[in-house]
Amino acid sequence: MIRLIKLLGVALVSLFATGAQAAAQAIENELVLITPVARTLTDPTLADFAKYAKEKWNITVKTSSLAAGTPVAYGRIVEWKGRPDADIFWGGESALFDKLAEQNLLAKLNLPKAVMDAIPASIGKPKPIPLKDPKGFWTGTVLEPYGLVYHPKLLARLGVPEPKDWDDLLHPKLKGNVAQCAPTRSSSSHATYEVILQRDGDEKGWAWLKRLAGNTGIFTARSRDVPSVVARGEFAAGFAVPSYMAFEDRLAGYELKFVAPKTAWITPEPIGVIAGTRHPRAARAFIEYLLSERGQRVAMERGVFPITPKYRVQGKPGSQAEMAVEFTGGVRSYFDLDVVNIYDDNIAQKRYEAVNQQYRKEIESVAEQLKK
Amino acid sequence: MATATIAAVPGRGPRVPVISMIGFALIWAFLILFVLYPLTRIFYDAFTNEAGQFTLINFQEFFTDRYYLRSLWNSLVLGVAAVVTTSVIGIAVAFLIVRYDFPYRNLFAYLTMLPMILPPLVGVLGFVFILGRAGTVNVWLMDWLHMAHPINFMYGMQGVLLVETVHLFPLMTLSILDAMSKVDPSLEEAAQGMGAKGWRRFWDVTLPLTTPGYVSGALLVFIWTFADFVTPLVVGVQDLLAVQAYLNIVQFVDRRIFRMGIVISALLVLLAIAFVLVARHYVAIKDYSSLAYSKVERRRLGPVKRWLAVGFLVALLFVSAIPQVGVLLAAVGKGWALTPFPVHYTLDYFRQVSIETPKFIINSLMFSGLAVLICLVVGVPMAWIMSRTQTPGRGAMDALTTLILAIPGTAIGIAYIRAFHYPLPGIDLALTSTWFVLPLVLAVRRLPYTVRGSFSSLLLVHKSMEEAAENVGATKLRTFRDITVPLVWKGILVGALFSFIMSIQEASATLFLTLGGWEMIPVGIFTYYIAGSHGQAASLGVILIVLCAVSLGIVNRVAGTRVGGLFG
Repeated sequence: MIRLIKLLGVALVSLFATGAQAAAQAIENELVLITPVARTLTDPTLADFAKYAKEKWNITVKTSSLAAGTPVAYGRIVEWKGRPDADIFWGGESALFDKLAEQNLLAKLNLPKAVMDAIPASIGKPKPIPLKDPKGFWTGTVLEPYGLVYHPKLLARLGVPEPKDWDDLLHPKLKGNVAQCAPTRSSSSHATYEVILQRDGDEKGWAWLKRLAGNTGIFTARSRDVPSVVARGEFAAGFAVPSYMAFEDRLAGYELKFVAPKTAWITPEPIGVIAGTRHPRAARAFIEYLLSERGQRVAMERGVFPITPKYRVQGKPGSQAEMAVEFTGGVRSYFDLDVVNIYDDNIAQKRYEAVNQQYRKEIESVAEQLKK
Repeated sequence: MATATIAAVPGRGPRVPVISMIGFALIWAFLILFVLYPLTRIFYDAFTNEAGQFTLINFQEFFTDRYYLRSLWNSLVLGVAAVVTTSVIGIAVAFLIVRYDFPYRNLFAYLTMLPMILPPLVGVLGFVFILGRAGTVNVWLMDWLHMAHPINFMYGMQGVLLVETVHLFPLMTLSILDAMSKVDPSLEEAAQGMGAKGWRRFWDVTLPLTTPGYVSGALLVFIWTFADFVTPLVVGVQDLLAVQAYLNIVQFVDRRIFRMGIVISALLVLLAIAFVLVARHYVAIKDYSSLAYSKVERRRLGPVKRWLAVGFLVALLFVSAIPQVGVLLAAVGKGWALTPFPVHYTLDYFRQVSIETPKFIINSLMFSGLAVLICLVVGVPMAWIMSRTQTPGRGAMDALTTLILAIPGTAIGIAYIRAFHYPLPGIDLALTSTWFVLPLVLAVRRLPYTVRGSFSSLLLVHKSMEEAAENVGATKLRTFRDITVPLVWKGILVGALFSFIMSIQEASATLFLTLGGWEMIPVGIFTYYIAGSHGQAASLGVILIVLCAVSLGIVNRVAGTRVGGLFG
């Protein structure tokens, strides 16, 4: 009899427990990202978010991320046609987020006003870089420049000084030692091509890019392969973005360095909720977490910079945060600097396919001749 | 078995039981739903514009673009080159192992199969670690001989050919091995008796008799090389057709280029149909089956020749071991760059990919196991239909099977996403949203190995043995079970083994279909590689190589003891 009562009691308690849980379910217990951002940034933020959700709502969130290059991620979201298998798209160029919003494939963020107001509308002169969407479909999360990576030891072997600006890649001794990803294959590489074209104008810009092709030893399949082949010393230098794994190689023990030329474009690493998601509340909670001080601190230890002037990258000597500062040349916050931006994303997006066509015709199909 | 008497009782004519009819219909339903229907999506895209109207402009663009035409030419040349190199090595190895006795023969038989199980991406990475510009060999050359510039072993066509040759020659060896061991020695004795010796006998008698095996092997090698995009990509070769298809498809932003990727995939499929037809024409015109299934006499080699044979195999194994050694070093080395060997060592990567995240290994075994099950259920009856019956449509069935091999994995992945992203009737869930799509796509993609393995064995077992059984009253099903299967099970096993090993190594088709939590080892390798975590990628590579080596070893043992030491 006592056993029966006990059993009944257990049954009742568990009944109430599940009922109570369902009622207090502030967010769903699952969250999936699709993102070009490296695991070194996504894994720790997701792990810390899960901890945060447990503390705040006592909910165990199962988190995961689908690693995909920006174009692949964009393509999959388009192919999903509003029945997505992921909840959040994070990273890449904000113009793609605008494109998705136009196709009704993003849901409005609807974040608290205080959170959004902490993020300035734009950064940089003379062409301001938007840091959030006025229509509310995406917001920036962290700042990072599209710059250069190089292998100091290999450069020393070749007798080439460490690069400071784009033009240093044209050093004659770097012949066959530059790695780059074609602009037709990578949106970040495309953006860097545009920086050169908008800096020098069409004629001089293309001549510059052809000279770069002459120095190029490998065209990689993805932009992330560039830091990867440079880290191993297979090639000496190339274009790269820190959180698309350049910093990861540094953390993995490779002697790799990064420099952002003065005219480097800075991406706000946009984030948006995919329309039709099965976990809308978890998705919004994650974005809000990422913009909070706690989320920004986790990100700042991974080689990227805060999206608001409220925080600066700072850590104990020898910490990962300080390593990141050293890796990116001593910058602690982009709001401390006068950011020079000459890249106009609207111009770039309008002629996206035309630039690709021209690249295919004038560089890709004659790459062997350019190398001579 | 050769003494089975032909019964004098006239045959009662083929009976077609209902169960066979249902089975036949089910197989076709499977092929139509999971092969033809998704493929039509690719062709639909290739022949339409963004507005969905019919157009030929995509193909016009391809054939007026010099770069694409150069890619086409390069792909054909590379495919032929790979067939030549793998033929020379593959035939030599098969011939040595089947016909001659020399020290450690069994061990060599096993070791020469190992390169086949090099996972995509990992194989070429392993080569780059050792032979790349900053690889072990070049660092030595630069440090010791003070060479200013590294020797370019890898970056270019020569690198692709090297990787494909080392990876694929066992495919050739295995394809010929089965056929060669069944060649009736009396035919060779007859040739010998008439004065044909050595090379002459080999060229005129032995080689032609192994043609079915050789042609299927050559077709596999050619098409594999033709459709491989990972190897060329790592060594920076992009003017190949499969690479162009992949690169164009994976960038979705520029719809024009994306569509050209689909167009090139469609073209790859069309070319594959052409190759298959040519090859089939060649194999179908001759009857190679033999009533004999006797044990092959192995000859002992003289002392000089014996050491030449061993020397050749050792040299071959040395080159084949380069990628494995490279991957193993990368899996335990930390921050390895510009030194001959890693300076710091760690087991962290292994711990991370096995103990911390065991899903890669579990998913791989589960999905590949399921895939092989599907392959056997669908593939063995298919091979039987194609080789034993006059059922209409079996030619189409065969062409379709081989065709599957030629379709780039990325194209299949895309085709599946496009074709199966709609909710299934009855449940509000799309096929692409359930993990079952992975074993399914693996089974479809690797079905040809099971079918081909079973088919070429069936081809070599003379039909009169089955007819004899039927004449004394056995049903078709009974005959299949009691006569056919025991005679051909080795071929089926080899085919299923191919299917398993190739499934567990598949990355290109699954890459597009994998959702969070379903990652198999190759997709894990890919995502780690993409994320720049070479240590973790290499560790998973080592685990995959070990898994495949063990399964290969088990089969080697099982097949070996039962069929008189054919494989070891």
